[in-house]
Amino acid sequence: MNIRMIFALVRKDISLYFKNKFFGLGTILALAAYLGIFFLMPKTVNEKISLGFYAPSFPDTVWDQYNSEEVTLLHYSSLEALKQAVTDDKASVGFVFPDDFLQKMYSGEQTNAQIYIKSDLPDEYRQAYTLVLEEITQQLAGHSLNITTNEVVIGTDMAGMQIPPRNRMLPNLAILILMVETMGLAALISSEVESGTLRALLVTRLRPAGLFISKGITGVVMAFTQVLLLLVITGGLQQKPGLIMTALLLGSILITGISFLVASLARDVMSVIAWGMIAMIVLAIPSFNVMLPGLTTDWIKIIPSYYLIDVLNKVFNYGMGWQTATTNLLVLLGLSILFFIGGMVAIRRKI
Amino acid sequence: MSLRRTWFLYLKEIAQGPKNFLFVLSLVMPLLLTLLFSLIFSSTISGKAGIGIVDEGTSKLTELTAQNQSVLVHTYDDVATLKKAIERGSLDVGLVLPAGFDDHLVAGKQTLIDFYVWGESKLKNRTIASAAIVNAMREIAGQKISLNIEQVILGKGSNVPWEKRLLPLVVLMSIVLAGVLIPASSLVTEKAKHTLIVLSVSPTTMLEVFISKGLLGITVSIITGLLTLFLNRAFGSQPGLLMLTLILGAMLSSVIGVIIGIFVKDINSLFATIKGIGILLYAPSIVYMFPVIPAWIGQIFPTYYIIQPVLEITQNNAGFKDIAFQLAILAGLILIGFFIIWQLSRKRAETLVPV
Repeated sequence: MNIRMIFALVRKDISLYFKNKFFGLGTILALAAYLGIFFLMPKTVNEKISLGFYAPSFPDTVWDQYNSEEVTLLHYSSLEALKQAVTDDKASVGFVFPDDFLQKMYSGEQTNAQIYIKSDLPDEYRQAYTLVLEEITQQLAGHSLNITTNEVVIGTDMAGMQIPPRNRMLPNLAILILMVETMGLAALISSEVESGTLRALLVTRLRPAGLFISKGITGVVMAFTQVLLLLVITGGLQQKPGLIMTALLLGSILITGISFLVASLARDVMSVIAWGMIAMIVLAIPSFNVMLPGLTTDWIKIIPSYYLIDVLNKVFNYGMGWQTATTNLLVLLGLSILFFIGGMVAIRRKI
Repeated sequence: MSLRRTWFLYLKEIAQGPKNFLFVLSLVMPLLLTLLFSLIFSSTISGKAGIGIVDEGTSKLTELTAQNQSVLVHTYDDVATLKKAIERGSLDVGLVLPAGFDDHLVAGKQTLIDFYVWGESKLKNRTIASAAIVNAMREIAGQKISLNIEQVILGKGSNVPWEKRLLPLVVLMSIVLAGVLIPASSLVTEKAKHTLIVLSVSPTTMLEVFISKGLLGITVSIITGLLTLFLNRAFGSQPGLLMLTLILGAMLSSVIGVIIGIFVKDINSLFATIKGIGILLYAPSIVYMFPVIPAWIGQIFPTYYIIQPVLEITQNNAGFKDIAFQLAILAGLILIGFFIIWQLSRKRAETLVPV
């Protein structure tokens, strides 16, 4: 294997890539767009309920039992102050109890209460807050249920420290860049097959393995560098950079192998796009599960990109370390080797 | 310029178009996205708390909780399946009701129930789910309070659910994808096959070629736009005005597509261009998705003047007067684009095609 020739080819491919102003500018604009999406997404999760109260006749001690981890009670001295708090989103809703509320309730008479709701509150929350008010009234009335609960939290209890949407999005953006580059590399190989330059290179001293390794290195460098840049700017490399970079490197090899397969299946650049789209859609499925947990079941593990997305998600968002990631990394390594060799063989047969 | 020649070129484009993968992609993609979004947003991101119940007896609790519109209730045959569903995040909470649960509740006997909570469930969802469950339990236990609750709405804003926030993206994609990709890819393919040079030695002018390709983009763009609006049940009450807006939107998209097709050398470069400028084309829909972004930012982008009138007609039943200004800007942009194409078409075909 001629190392010098391999690196000469890598240099040639990368310089050709950036000499094409559309490629270069397109790549930079796309990266800027991914960063824009990341920074536009919410960086916090509002998961607590803040209940505003205006109940002048209630003794302060009444409320002590309702303050909890989930619920914050906010008392207001006037109805206007309560309405302002709801309008300014300082309170999720405002409950107003008239002066004779407790008296009527204890005597079993019909009582009235008001809920002040901001107009943009979704319907399901309006109904939910009505339930909460009913439950508070039941408890004020002294109604109790003789039930004991054996509460078990499944998974890490993230109460109060939920993962913000932008952090859930980060592994998906990293994968998206890798996948887009898959199509780019497949298109590059396919156009070289079409123009006959790959076959021409095979009559030089460069062996087929060297040729594919050079294409592989080009693909890995292009994809890996962009993802790395994204993670550096978004702060994604603050935790366990070694682990993240290892996973991304393995992922880049896997993606390069897949792009070889796509290029071997395609007749021309147009069919690269067709096959590439199918590959992209399949590889993207595990990322939906990161954004929307519970969307899929265990079958998702048959998709190779699952092992990369799972590692990135767990390192970014759950602080997973090397020890826990070992199994996923080993599977990813195995799949990367399998797809890379499979892709090389497939494209060798084609030319 | 000969209208007859342009018409024949257009017919040729229609015959050749479906053989192009990008033609099929631009036709199918918005429809697939519509189906995907409606599938996901119908239940997954409903914002409702998810409750799973395993009933070892015949409790009414499941039915009563399910009647509550603020939660989603699922039943399971065994605890292991329930726990798995919670573990993967399909549910916020789960509970196991022992046999004779309702009788115990009515009799006020002490009852132990297993209550599972998904660790990543938001505190808000846990509270709402618990309130719904306890509310149903109180109903079974016969604990009633005589309470009249009045809801007072503050402000004039309205809640925009995610399926509505995503509608502009899907509609814009359906109009712009076909409008831009079809003429651009058709021109680039002709360059690759050197057929533009062949045409240049015939009486056909470059302007006729560009117009015929643009017309195909306009046709497909209108069809996909209408289909997407139909699938999303978002036609509004002014079909004539909607049609006019879609035609203008499709024209602007195709003008952009033709200009891209003139400048781009090959299919790889076309994709790199689309990859790079795609975000600019769809930027107005991103502004709709995140209300925290000031609305004026969307107005910077040309495609805003496609999607805004469409949304005004379909969502707010706007009339011509309401959207006349936006349509005028749209028409102005089309004229500018057409002028650029006309200027470019005056160059000889060879200068457009690197040999």
